[in-house]
Amino acid sequence: MFFLTYLRRELRRRMRQAIFIVLGLALGVGLVVTVLAVSSGVQDAQRGVLQGLYGIGTDLTVTTKPPPFNPNSNSGLRITMTPNGTEVCNNGKCSTGAQQLDNLNAQAYAPMSYSTAAKVAGLDHVSAVGAGLVLTDEQMTIPATGAAGGALPQSTSFNVDGVDFTHSKLGPISDGTISSGRNFAAADADADVAVVDSDYAAARSLKPGSKVTIAGVPFTVIGLINQPQGSVPPEAYIPLARAQALGKSAGKSLAGKINAVYVTAASAAQIPAVQSEIGKLLPSVTVTSPSSLANEVTGSLASTAQLASDLGRWLSMLVLITAFAVACLLTMAAVARRVREFGTLKALGWRSRRIIVQVLGESAALGVIGGAVGVGVGFAGAAIIGKIAPKLTATVATPTGQHLVQASPSGTQVTNPTITHTVPVVMSAPVTAGAIVLAIVLAVIGGLLAGLIGSWRIARLRPAEALARVA
Amino acid sequence: MYELAHVTKDYQKGRRMVSAVRDLTLTIPDGEWLAVQGRTGHGKSTLLHLLGGLDRPTKGSLTYDGTDLTRAREKQLVTVRSGIFGFIFQTFNLVPTLSAAENVEAALIPLRTNRAERRRRVSAALESVGLADRARHLPSELSGGQQQRVAIARAIVKERWVLLADEPTGNLDEATRDEIIGLLERLWADRGLTLITVTHDSTVAKRAQRIGVMKQGRLTIIRGAART
Repeated sequence: MFFLTYLRRELRRRMRQAIFIVLGLALGVGLVVTVLAVSSGVQDAQRGVLQGLYGIGTDLTVTTKPPPFNPNSNSGLRITMTPNGTEVCNNGKCSTGAQQLDNLNAQAYAPMSYSTAAKVAGLDHVSAVGAGLVLTDEQMTIPATGAAGGALPQSTSFNVDGVDFTHSKLGPISDGTISSGRNFAAADADADVAVVDSDYAAARSLKPGSKVTIAGVPFTVIGLINQPQGSVPPEAYIPLARAQALGKSAGKSLAGKINAVYVTAASAAQIPAVQSEIGKLLPSVTVTSPSSLANEVTGSLASTAQLASDLGRWLSMLVLITAFAVACLLTMAAVARRVREFGTLKALGWRSRRIIVQVLGESAALGVIGGAVGVGVGFAGAAIIGKIAPKLTATVATPTGQHLVQASPSGTQVTNPTITHTVPVVMSAPVTAGAIVLAIVLAVIGGLLAGLIGSWRIARLRPAEALARVA
Repeated sequence: MYELAHVTKDYQKGRRMVSAVRDLTLTIPDGEWLAVQGRTGHGKSTLLHLLGGLDRPTKGSLTYDGTDLTRAREKQLVTVRSGIFGFIFQTFNLVPTLSAAENVEAALIPLRTNRAERRRRVSAALESVGLADRARHLPSELSGGQQQRVAIARAIVKERWVLLADEPTGNLDEATRDEIIGLLERLWADRGLTLITVTHDSTVAKRAQRIGVMKQGRLTIIRGAART
């Protein structure tokens, strides 16, 4: 075919220039692919962290803020230690002397009625709903006396989730895989059994059949669960009914209560609509989406995400624009050198359109080659980043539900400490099919743009003028 | 047949208007060989471009076989250029990346003839200029005379009726010049072409039926009937 023969020969004649254009486009496109890969990797890592928090398939989480802490009220646990003795008041109920405390409390979120989950399930565009009880088990040994100004006894605490078996496909437990033993069965609904995080179990030498004490009650470990490394998972899962029976919120029973509703929307596009509907139905609740939660993730992962989205995007845009400009200038220069050739072709009866198609074909071919090389450069860039990327961490701050009251001559100060979980994140830079398609499209657009600018000159070229210029 | 009536071509050159062709009235019958002589810058090439539909007169009327080249749309001019006129240039104007055969074939592309027919006509054209054995050679692998032969083959491959040659021997040595002129003369005689050559060279011009001299845009016929 004459078109292809002419195209091939012309590109071969301008080999050095063609290579220059191809490399320019490839560099720009490769950088775009690399930045997209890094962004994709960061997003995957963030998704991993978020999934660990609220489980796979959970689009929205409904919680209620605990009531504001009143340091003058009798609610909560109050420990007063003096050299003369120790007094422990739990929701106004006081006792003295040495004692062992093991409380299971809903500290982070206020309780809601179990029927809240059913109400949310009845909303439009909601495909699934799960309920849970997010609790903290706090264990403390209180001595009989304390030194004046001395430190409070150290407590050990771990997170316990009450799991609703009827919707166990949602919530944090859905993100893990049982590594040993078994998961909950329907018969376990009222049993003192627990599924324990495998890392937590390893640190405490727990295995299926071992006992773990929660709220002073020995629970039999029935299974160990592997949870994503980049997540902040609960250390133990127990049946919802048992969590309701043993847990307390401000000294009150949690019977018939939950404090987290996990919601899946019918589609990703409907998440905002569902979020809005829940807000209207339950004005006092907090509805958290992965995107709003993503803002709470800090650490080097967040910094990398920011870097990829800001510097990476602008840098790749700059290189791409430069590559386009260089391609345009070189094509225009090539067209200028070929004025006599095009004038001759016009004299032979070639239409301007035919010549333009020929030049566009040459530019598009360079674009396709540049895109293909650019994808290779992108893969190489992503691989290099994967190799040399520093270890990233994601930090998520979660409220403890505790309140620290500090008395001083100037007044009483209350702070609400949070626990920050810093987890290592393994970041990869996957090159997606979408990025490859985008790369080719960008390169072809760059090539065509260069060809179009050159073609504009050809279209305006009068054959007599073109021939006279060289005469 | 060409009919030119009061044809003028003006150019804007900086602030000044230059008349390359002035008030030219002329008839060129089919099958005639007209040689146009004159010094550089006196309008010879401009006249050739007007005759070939590569440019339009500023004033006057120029028709070829009833087609008004002054007012024809660009599409119509392209059709005439691709079907009727053949050009030969002083610098050969071959596409350097295409072989001799492909250069000749380029002239057939606008006619949308099929590949087999194109090949047949290209072979015949190269054969008629004595370059059948150089079909695959690039222009850079051919001598000046051979390149001009390829250009002539490109001009006649469509079996055109009008051949417009702008200094066809200007870049050739004496022996090659005679060879090329001999070839053009043979093609003109054998095919009944209308041949219009623009040349400095009196030896070339003398072979034509009619000779005109361009001076400051005006054409004076010095041999043959004026036919104005």
